[in-house]
Amino acid sequence: MFQRILIANRGEIALRVIRTAREMGIETVAVYSDFDSRALHTRMAQVAVPLVGNLPSETYLVAEKIIAAAKSTGAEAIHPGYGFLSENAGFARKVQEAGLVWIGPPPSAIEAMGDKIKSRQRMKAAGVPVVPGLTEPVADAAAAITAAKEIGYPIAIKAAAGGGGKGIRIVRDAAGMESGFRTASGEAKSSFGDGRVYLERYLDKPRHIEVQLLFDTHGNGVHYGVRECSIQRRHQKLLEECPSVVIDAKTRDAMGEVALTAGRAVGYQNAGTVEFLWSNGQFYFLEMNTRLQVEHPVTEMVTGTDLVREQLRVAAGEKLGYEQKDVRWNGWAIEVRLNAEDVFHKFVPSTGTIHNLRMPGGPFVRLDLGLYRGMEVGLNYDPMLAKLIVWGPNREQAIARMRRALQELNIGGVRTSAPAALAVLEHERFQKGDFDTHFLEGLDLAQQHTEHDALVAAAAAIWRQRKATRRSLAPLAHEREGWTTRSRRAREVQ
Amino acid sequence: MKYFATVNGRAHEVELFEERGELAVRVDGKPLAIRYEEVDDLGQVIALCEGKSYALSLEGSEERVSVTLAGNFYEIELENERERAAHAAERAGGKSGGVVNAIMPGVVVELLVKKGQAVEKGQPLLILSAMKMQNEIAAPQAGVVKELFVAAGQAVAAGAKLVTLELVAG
Repeated sequence: MFQRILIANRGEIALRVIRTAREMGIETVAVYSDFDSRALHTRMAQVAVPLVGNLPSETYLVAEKIIAAAKSTGAEAIHPGYGFLSENAGFARKVQEAGLVWIGPPPSAIEAMGDKIKSRQRMKAAGVPVVPGLTEPVADAAAAITAAKEIGYPIAIKAAAGGGGKGIRIVRDAAGMESGFRTASGEAKSSFGDGRVYLERYLDKPRHIEVQLLFDTHGNGVHYGVRECSIQRRHQKLLEECPSVVIDAKTRDAMGEVALTAGRAVGYQNAGTVEFLWSNGQFYFLEMNTRLQVEHPVTEMVTGTDLVREQLRVAAGEKLGYEQKDVRWNGWAIEVRLNAEDVFHKFVPSTGTIHNLRMPGGPFVRLDLGLYRGMEVGLNYDPMLAKLIVWGPNREQAIARMRRALQELNIGGVRTSAPAALAVLEHERFQKGDFDTHFLEGLDLAQQHTEHDALVAAAAAIWRQRKATRRSLAPLAHEREGWTTRSRRAREVQ
Repeated sequence: MKYFATVNGRAHEVELFEERGELAVRVDGKPLAIRYEEVDDLGQVIALCEGKSYALSLEGSEERVSVTLAGNFYEIELENERERAAHAAERAGGKSGGVVNAIMPGVVVELLVKKGQAVEKGQPLLILSAMKMQNEIAAPQAGVVKELFVAAGQAVAAGAKLVTLELVAG
């Protein structure tokens, strides 16, 4: 096993990896931007190396700086987390060429799955079902309109090099193709440096179901069942569950087998996730995320497995040591992503300084976070501040527990996605399990609780009056100055 | 002291006064038995109100207070009588119409219109990139582009003026 590893990431995921490593007696090296010099991952790692600079492009995305940090601190392996360089095959290769272990899949597997067009061709050939559509990129809007006639509307335009919902546009008719093509291609170019897009049929009432996989380096692999990630907007997930109300044990095993086939087709190793679209009992391969995912904790809660521990074990060359039949599922888990955004104003990003924190607790409540009191939430990094995860013996109790935990939580200083998650959890359709990937977009978040209006109005008025009173009683700054050591000394000198 | 409180857009009147040395509250003319206590100086407050206990979080400025209660969010605009009069006078003075502001902080990727160009309602004016997403900023009304305040590549703050439109009547 490793003695020391470097974590090429920040925020909650860096802390998540540090925690498991510490439990395993492995030392951790954090890297940090100027902005993150006080961040939790910088504080909690045994060694912290500054990357100097603030923008991701000067820090967490600079392969040379990160590899140099690993070499100089004697780290043997690099864990990329998610985002940043985690799905960058070039980086993975450089890590290996530097004589370090890459805690992730082989670079060739990242490449094979990273190109959404090539991966679909490859999956089709391996016998994995894929959504009807083109497997070649389209040159321009006119070509897209021609191709769309065969696939049939509505059409999803997707970035060939994409992921994470960036560069995707839904077009309902030929008239919308021009503008859809332009924005999708532009977004793809700015996000991935590759403007190529492809088309596919947009499925009716689709659900986003994904399968967690784990392979060792000896050819053994298991699936950890499904996660339900249909609660999303603009293809960014808000709430995830494990398992799913629409997937019974038989379907789970069938999807698991297909996912394992997909992984084996590209020679996969380490942890990865195969995403499927599920519609009317059918499921289609969407893409494979060749890294640990944000929502991995729900699987951990239900299977009782620390997936980061498994990642480190297999990266160090250990065998899985168990088989598919040893993977068990118990109860239900839900995760809510707490993003800095204003859900009442079209989910626009919210910025500010975190203060006035109130953390939830209690049985079976897990909070994976990267935020701390005094943290400035800006626009340079991902808006996700924390993840709240709960477990319950069944879905009903898990929902009740998550509602309770969200009610306890307060993140002062910025707006968060918590009210939107609460609205989802309180909705009858969600509780019945009757929803698809459009559910959140169609949810009326403006619907308000009004029963406490008098109370909150009164509290706000009292709060303001108290504040004003305190201020009028506080001595003026220049009067207070006379009592400080420095000003007294200044007077003595005179 | 009387405050006009707008709670998520709903208007209420709050009166705070002293009664036998104790703070007393009336909301919309009705007395509200409330015991208010600050837990810390960061904004954690406990309010005991008509036999029930409420854990509140408050933050913001004097005019704009954000309250979180059981995970639900209340945006409260507070005005005392003097401020209310001043704001009413401002509104009566009239605002210029047709200003398009940045709804979020971001970077202008591309301008899709020119000064003097006629635009229809809903026509995209420019593309604003925020959080790595590209967003088309559309014209709220039909009109003629009067002025462009930004250029491609420019970073803008939330609320920054982007474009003014000369509105077409009707």
